[in-house]
Amino acid sequence: MAKQLIVDGKPIEVEDGTTLMHACELAGAVIPRFCYHERLSIAGNCRMCLVEVEGSPKPVASCAMLVNDLPPNRDGSPKVVNTASPMVKKAREGVMEFLLINHPLDCPICDQGGECDLQDQAMAFGMGGSRYTENKRAVEEKHIGPLIKTMMTRCIHCTRCVRYMTEVAGVEELGLIGRGEDAEITTYLEQGILSEMSANAVDLCPVGALTHRPWAFAARPWEMETFETIDVMDAVGSSISADVRGAAVMRILPRNNDAVNEEWISDKTRHVADGLKTQRLDQPYIRKNGRFEPASWDEALGLVAAKLKAAPAEKIGAIAGDLAGAEEMFALKDLLTRLGATSLDCRQAGDKLDPKLGRASYLFNSGIEGIEEADAILIVGANPRLEAAVLNSRIRKRWRSAPTKIALVGTKVDLAYPYEYLGAGPDTLAEIANGKHPFAEVLKAASKPMVIVGQGAFARADGLAALSLAARIVLAASAGKDAAWNGFNVLHTAAARVAGLDLGFVPGKGGKDAAGILGPDSEFVYLLGADECDLSKVSPSAFVVYQGTHGDKGTERADVILPGAAYTEKSATFVNTEGRAQQTLKAVFPPGDAKEDWTIIRALSERAGTKLPYDSLKELRAAMYRTSPQLAALDTIEVRAVSGLETLAKLGAQPSSAPFAPVIADFYMTNPIARSSAVMAGMSALRASHQQKLSAAE
Amino acid sequence: MGLLSEIFSWWGGNTWGTRLFTLRKGKQVGQDEFGNRYFVQKSGVGPLGVPARWVIYPKLSEASQVPPDWHGWLHYTVDTIPTDERYHRRPWQKPHQANLTGTPLAYRPKGSILGKGERAKSTSDYKAWKPH
Repeated sequence: MAKQLIVDGKPIEVEDGTTLMHACELAGAVIPRFCYHERLSIAGNCRMCLVEVEGSPKPVASCAMLVNDLPPNRDGSPKVVNTASPMVKKAREGVMEFLLINHPLDCPICDQGGECDLQDQAMAFGMGGSRYTENKRAVEEKHIGPLIKTMMTRCIHCTRCVRYMTEVAGVEELGLIGRGEDAEITTYLEQGILSEMSANAVDLCPVGALTHRPWAFAARPWEMETFETIDVMDAVGSSISADVRGAAVMRILPRNNDAVNEEWISDKTRHVADGLKTQRLDQPYIRKNGRFEPASWDEALGLVAAKLKAAPAEKIGAIAGDLAGAEEMFALKDLLTRLGATSLDCRQAGDKLDPKLGRASYLFNSGIEGIEEADAILIVGANPRLEAAVLNSRIRKRWRSAPTKIALVGTKVDLAYPYEYLGAGPDTLAEIANGKHPFAEVLKAASKPMVIVGQGAFARADGLAALSLAARIVLAASAGKDAAWNGFNVLHTAAARVAGLDLGFVPGKGGKDAAGILGPDSEFVYLLGADECDLSKVSPSAFVVYQGTHGDKGTERADVILPGAAYTEKSATFVNTEGRAQQTLKAVFPPGDAKEDWTIIRALSERAGTKLPYDSLKELRAAMYRTSPQLAALDTIEVRAVSGLETLAKLGAQPSSAPFAPVIADFYMTNPIARSSAVMAGMSALRASHQQKLSAAE
Repeated sequence: MGLLSEIFSWWGGNTWGTRLFTLRKGKQVGQDEFGNRYFVQKSGVGPLGVPARWVIYPKLSEASQVPPDWHGWLHYTVDTIPTDERYHRRPWQKPHQANLTGTPLAYRPKGSILGKGERAKSTSDYKAWKPH
C-alpha cells in the first residue's frame, strides 16, 4: 500500500515500510545524518536527521520513523513534512552545537580533515560560533590493532563502527560502554580487532575518531587523484579506488558496487598499498655464474629469445600466476602457440578445472548478488572467510536477513555465521550426491539451492571427481526448478584464474600441466608472475624466465628476471569468480625500467622471430576479443543454464577419501604484493600471536 | 693584492685612493683575528659629522668579513673598541664566518643538484629488489 505525504510542499507517494528519511530524499530534500547508514541497522542516536511533521509537537528523527507510524490527520489528508522550516533549522543547530561541545578543534591535524561528515555538516547546518566556554571532555586512547588508529575524544557516538563490526563483519569486538558524557567506544579487552574486514569501520566513521593507521598523516584527500580500478587480491574483483599522489598509490578505498562488494573491501585489499612500493623489480637481471647481474632490456630479451628459439617446442612451458592480466596471458599464449609449444597452464595450484567442460563448470554461476536469494547453501572444501572475505559477508548478510540453511564439508572453521558441519571430505559429498545424507533433502526442498566449491576440493589429484560430485548434487537439487538459477559455484582464490581458463591458458594437444612443466624434463620455463608453485623439481639446466613485479619465490630460481607492472600500473582485464570481466586502470607508472606486461611479451616475440600482430593495447584487445568474446562484455555476467553442468556431472569418478585441506594458511600473505607489505606482515604476526595466546589459554 | 692591481683595478680589494686617504687621515685603532684593520679619522669629521671609521680588508673587500663586535664599533653603536671591552666570548659562541654565497663553500640545500644529490625522502619512493 502506498502512503501519501507532502514534503516541503511537494506531494509524493511512497511504499509502506519506507523510512521518513528515505521519503524526504525521494522528494528531493537533503537530510543530514551521522548514525544512519544504508547498509547497517537503524540506531537513531545522533538526532541530526530531525524533520518537522505537522501535528507532531516535537521534531521527529526521520531515519528511525517509518511512514506507516505517522498518525493520520483527522481529515485523512496527507501528512505534511517540513525539512527546511525554522523549527528544523533550530533543531539541527541545537544538535550540532551539542555534538561540537565535546568535539576537539583539531581539524588541522586530523586525518579525516577534508572528508569529514562533521566538518561538512557543521558548515552546512551548524551555528556560526560556539557558546561553550567550559572544558571539553577527553577520552582515553584505545589500542585496536595496527590498522585502525583511534582518537576517541573525537567520537560522536554514532555507533556505526559497533554496528558494522557486529552486523557485517560478524565479530563482536567493539562496543559502547558508559552513559551520557562518559560513553566510550571500546574493544572489550583493548585488543586488536581480528577480522578480515575490520578497516571498513574506518570508512564508516563520520568523524576522525577512527582513521587508517598505515597511512596516518601521509596525505590530504584533496592532494590525491582518484583512479577507479579493480582489486586483484582475491577472485571477487572488488571495486576500489586507488588514490594517487605523485608517483605512488597513497591509499586504496572501496567503491560502491552492489553487484560485487557493496561498499566493503577486505583489509588485505585496502592495506596492501605499501607492498606496491617494496621489493620491486625495477630493471632486468640476468643470472651469470650463479649471481644476478643488472642487464639492459635488449640483453635480457635477446637472451630469452635465443633460449626460446633453441629449445624444442615440446620442452617449452609457461605458467601464469595469480595476478596476471588477461592481456599478457593472451599474448604469451599466442607467442608460444606460434612457436608450436602446447605446455601452458594458468592453474599453478593444481586446480583440476577444465574449460572444455563448459564455462559453467568453473564459475560462481549464481553470482555474488545471487547469494541474497539462496535459501540453502552447501560449502565444499572452502573457507570463504579467508578466500573471499567480501563474499563471505554477503553470505552472512543473507543468513541475517532470512533463515538460510548453511552447511560445510571440509575443514571446520569460524565463518562468522553458524553452519551445520557435515563432514571433512569427499565421502560426505558422495553421500549427499547419492541422496543418502539428510542435507540432500534440504537442498531439494530449497527453491534456490547453492553449492560453493572451493579450491580445497578441486586443487588436488582427484579434484575433478569432487567437482563432478558437486555438479551431481546441484543437478539433483535443481531438477524442476527455475532454469535460470544455476546453483553450482566455484569459488576461486586467484584474480587471474578465470580469465586464464576463458582464454584457454591450459595444456593444449600433448601439452603438460603445471606439475609437468615444473618437472625435470622442461628446458625452457616462462613464469608469468607465478610464485605459488613448487620450483624445486625443475632441472638445474632448464632456463627459467620470471616476469613479475616483486622479488619473491619465483625470482629465486629464475635465470632472467623481466620487471613487469602491478595491477595499479597497467590497464588489464581481470575476470572475477562469477565471470565478470573488469578492467583495471593505470594509476601510476611501473617503477624504474619496468614495463607493462604485454609489451614485454610483444618485444620478446619480435626478437624470437614471430612478431605478434598487435602494436597497441587496443589492437591486442581486439585480437583477444575475437578468440574470447566473453572478455569484451565488461562488468556483466551472462546467465549460464544449469544444464551446462551435465558433462561435468557425467564424469562420475570416485574421489579418494582424504579430507579437503584448507587452501590459505595465512590470509595476509597470499601473493607477492601482500608478502612485500609491512602492514600485512604486522597483521600476520598479530594473528599468529593471538592464536598462540588462544591455544595457551586452552 | 699586488700594487699593480691596486692601481689599475677597483673591484678586488681597497684602492690606491683609500690607501692614500688612510695614510693621510687614518689612525689605526685595532686589528681583528681575521686581519681586518680598523681606522678612525685623525682630525676633522666625516660625512656623518663625527670622525669617520673604516676598515681595510686583507684581501677581497667583502663586508660580511667584519665580526659582530667590530661591526658594532664600525657602525657607531659603541665607541669602545672591542679589544678594550671587558667582554669575554662564551664557549658556545661560534667563531664568526663570512658569507660564503658565491664561493664553492656556499650552503647547498639537500636535494640541490649542486650538492651531493641526496634528497629528502618522498612518499613516491619505492624500495627496489636487490639480488643477494
